[in-house]
Amino acid sequence: MKSSSTLSALFSLLVPGAGQFYLGKRGRGALIFLAALVQGYLIYWALDNFKIGQVTVANLQTSWLWLLFVLFWGWNVYDAYRHAQGRRSISWPGLLVIALVVYFIAWQTTDVRLDRLVTRFGNALKIGDDIIHPDLVTQNESGAWVPSENFYYIFGNIVPKPAPAWLVSLGLVKEGVEVPTFEAGKIIETIALGLISTIFSVIFAIPFSFLAARNIMSRVPDGTVIYYVTRTFLNVMRAVDTLIWGLIVVLWVGPGPFAGVLALTIHSIAALAKLFSEEIEHIDSGPIEAITATGANLFQTIRYAVVPQIVPPFLGYTLLRWDINMRSATIVGFVAGGGIGFFIVETIRKSGYTQYAAALWAVAIVIIIVDYVSAKWRERVLVGTTRVTTEPPRPFYKSLRAWFYIVVGMAVFVYFWQLCEIDLKQLLNPAPTLAPFVANFVSLNLSPEVVSTVVREMIVTIFQALLATTLGALVAIPFSFLAARNLTGRSCLSSWVYYLTRSLFNLLRSIEALMYVAIFFYWVSFGNFAGMLALAITTFGLVGKLFSEAIENIDSGPLEAITATGATRLQTIVYGVLPQIIPPFVSYSIYQWDINVRMATIVGFAGGGGIGSLLYNEYFPFSSYRSAGTAVAAIVIVVAVMDFASAKIREKMV
Amino acid sequence: MLRIEHLTKVYPNGTVALKDVSFQVEDGEFLAVIGLSGSGKSTLLRCINRLIEPTSGKIIWNNTDLTALSAAEMRKVRRQIGMVFQQFNLVKRSSVLTNVLSGRLGYVRPSQSLFNYFSPEDRQRALDNLDRMGLRDKAHTRADSLSGGQQQRVGIARALMQDPKLVLADEPVASLDPVLAHTILKHLEWMNRELGITVLCSLHFLDLVHRYATHAIALKDGRLVFQGLPQEIDDAQFKAIYGQEAERVSIV
Ligand SMILES: Nc1ncnc2c1ncn2[C@@H]1O[C@H](COP(=O)(O)OP(=O)(O)O)[C@@H](O)[C@H]1O
Ligand SMILES: [Mg+2]
Repeated sequence: MKSSSTLSALFSLLVPGAGQFYLGKRGRGALIFLAALVQGYLIYWALDNFKIGQVTVANLQTSWLWLLFVLFWGWNVYDAYRHAQGRRSISWPGLLVIALVVYFIAWQTTDVRLDRLVTRFGNALKIGDDIIHPDLVTQNESGAWVPSENFYYIFGNIVPKPAPAWLVSLGLVKEGVEVPTFEAGKIIETIALGLISTIFSVIFAIPFSFLAARNIMSRVPDGTVIYYVTRTFLNVMRAVDTLIWGLIVVLWVGPGPFAGVLALTIHSIAALAKLFSEEIEHIDSGPIEAITATGANLFQTIRYAVVPQIVPPFLGYTLLRWDINMRSATIVGFVAGGGIGFFIVETIRKSGYTQYAAALWAVAIVIIIVDYVSAKWRERVLVGTTRVTTEPPRPFYKSLRAWFYIVVGMAVFVYFWQLCEIDLKQLLNPAPTLAPFVANFVSLNLSPEVVSTVVREMIVTIFQALLATTLGALVAIPFSFLAARNLTGRSCLSSWVYYLTRSLFNLLRSIEALMYVAIFFYWVSFGNFAGMLALAITTFGLVGKLFSEAIENIDSGPLEAITATGATRLQTIVYGVLPQIIPPFVSYSIYQWDINVRMATIVGFAGGGGIGSLLYNEYFPFSSYRSAGTAVAAIVIVVAVMDFASAKIREKMV
Repeated sequence: MLRIEHLTKVYPNGTVALKDVSFQVEDGEFLAVIGLSGSGKSTLLRCINRLIEPTSGKIIWNNTDLTALSAAEMRKVRRQIGMVFQQFNLVKRSSVLTNVLSGRLGYVRPSQSLFNYFSPEDRQRALDNLDRMGLRDKAHTRADSLSGGQQQRVGIARALMQDPKLVLADEPVASLDPVLAHTILKHLEWMNRELGITVLCSLHFLDLVHRYATHAIALKDGRLVFQGLPQEIDDAQFKAIYGQEAERVSIV
């Protein structure tokens, strides 16, 4: 007994985690080893790249963070010793040291300058003033208030134009006669982009999803190979954000709304196909068996046993994707063109936050509506109506209303198609820029300078996301209690607080991080800090909503029991609510970190630092496509690993 | 007449679910299949309509060897073999009527059925069958809004749509309350007595076997260990089928 505890402590002294591993606690040992490795590398890297923690000891440049590292090492020896004696060990010192090292380095590399938030608060006030005075109206010569040019630009205008061909061919007007025509504004174009790309991506995601469904492919010869290839392909496509796809498709079809649609579609195909394939994997095989047993053929079995099971969840995910695509459509213009994103970048260059503010409000209103409609419809298709009727439903082709919707839907589709300047022929006649791009992009530049730059910016990106998640989630916690119906009570004041907090979450959530960067670079100047703050604001909105819903979903039984003992409201929260909400809060935060890493890869496009600025300001403008390939490969690896790890951790938590 | 000869089923993972099982069922019998869970009852029933491919042996039904049929021929035969499941296996989101009509799929033109078109006669029959199950007024509600007992009656109505000569019922009452079990088994008994349909039904409780079955077989670890009349299952037989520790229990 004695010898084995000394032995395992000795093992851990030589190699962190080895003692624990030797004692049969393999998971713990491996984690400790990995943690030591990552800490060691980070400390070395931070000193090497940013001189973080630098101290001079006897003419030797080193980092004081190594002291913390030694503490961690010591804790690991102690841990092995305790476990060998069969006693409980304490984990928090080890975790604390890791957290200290990671957050210290993250803080420094992200260039957090809290002082600027105060010293440059004047800038923030100026922006705030512009935001509440959006450029929508103007005074004409006679002093009356009329919509400004900016208003028409965003929402559209009616201008006389030569009559379109179909009006002429119907004989309604003569050729060349000018008729009042609606010229769509940028926000209308954004809606078109979101809708068209969603339709396209559904069409392509369905076949992919069958190829990526394990239960289907295991019945097909060589199916498992196809399954793994499709899964990998989809994961790679999904890891690359819409805006990075935007940089790429511009080289294919040139800038414009069509490029925007393509970028949105590519990313969205991959995301949808993954969700669809999981749905296919979870279908109930019972009905399939039953229908096969009646003597139905394969197509009938699919029609009657498979289709009814997958259509509602497919529709639900499509609606969810529509919501996400609408959000991405508001910013895809930054790189690809089309939609309001393009417009925003223009106005900021002209240094006018009032025009920007008008666009921001328009985006917020549209996204809040889309978010609401999508959630309502989703609820309808997924829960469905279990209404008890004795009457058979009227077939849709006999309902006038259905025909009305179909006609309107088709008209809107055709109009949006034109607005997006869809030109499928262009896909087959790529711009001359595509071939050299592809050739270079796939032959990665693995020279030491490029690799170390890419790694550096990638780590910065991860840290940005980490700090943003921490900051956003911490601030969101108190607010989320105010937005939870079951805790706020029913008084008039608390109702107001509830609605105000909810609206705040919804408003902040409706704007993409990239747009917030445009606000923060004026406040705290360009760089990682601005990007981090932008991510933190969206995190606050997103996580706040999830947190408050988690609070609303807690089991009221324990609350009742604790209130019944005569506890105060605060005591009730501490003993009845906290134990129930910590697991979902942690789980949502990890999920949000995963999302934030993906978003952090693009905040650099608007001056928010990280790997996005490398792509947008250096590699793509100077056609360094080989280096761009390296950066995108790094993103794919990190995002895929994060995605996998976060899913695994969250799985363990429930 | 259904004759099973030397039926053996080995699953790909090596599990031997049926070992050299042979027996015979005359037309019009109500045959109970008993045995512990894992003894191979489901496998046996599914081998008969080849939802599971037997490894070896023959299944001879009205002088045709079903194991020798092509997939298309087997589909034709399946139309005459109804099946009722423990978990009901209804398409939950579809209406009750659509679920019942799906029993007709083997008979209708595939191109028409793809658009959910069924002839007025088929629709009328579906409603009649639902009426017989006491569910006429539920025809247009979603299947998952029904209770377990009601869902199983929809399952029986679906099997009836096939004009079956044979019905395979795999523990049709194992997921239901004891009281409901009798309702369901009475429907099966009615099909057997009034319509002359041969019924093969796996059951858990011995008193249900005594009450409804005309004949019985028992499986243990994939082997046939008993074949005879239900009343012939005495205490010694019982222990041989269910193991030494087993106690006789009964339900309402
Ligand atoms: N798809 C399958 N693959 C492998 N083994 C199976 C499969 N289905 C059933 N088995 C095994 O075959 C044996 C008989 O199962 P089953 O026919 O379901 O028995 P019962 O219906 O009497 O409970 C059991 O040991 C079961 O574990
Ligand atoms: Mg079974």
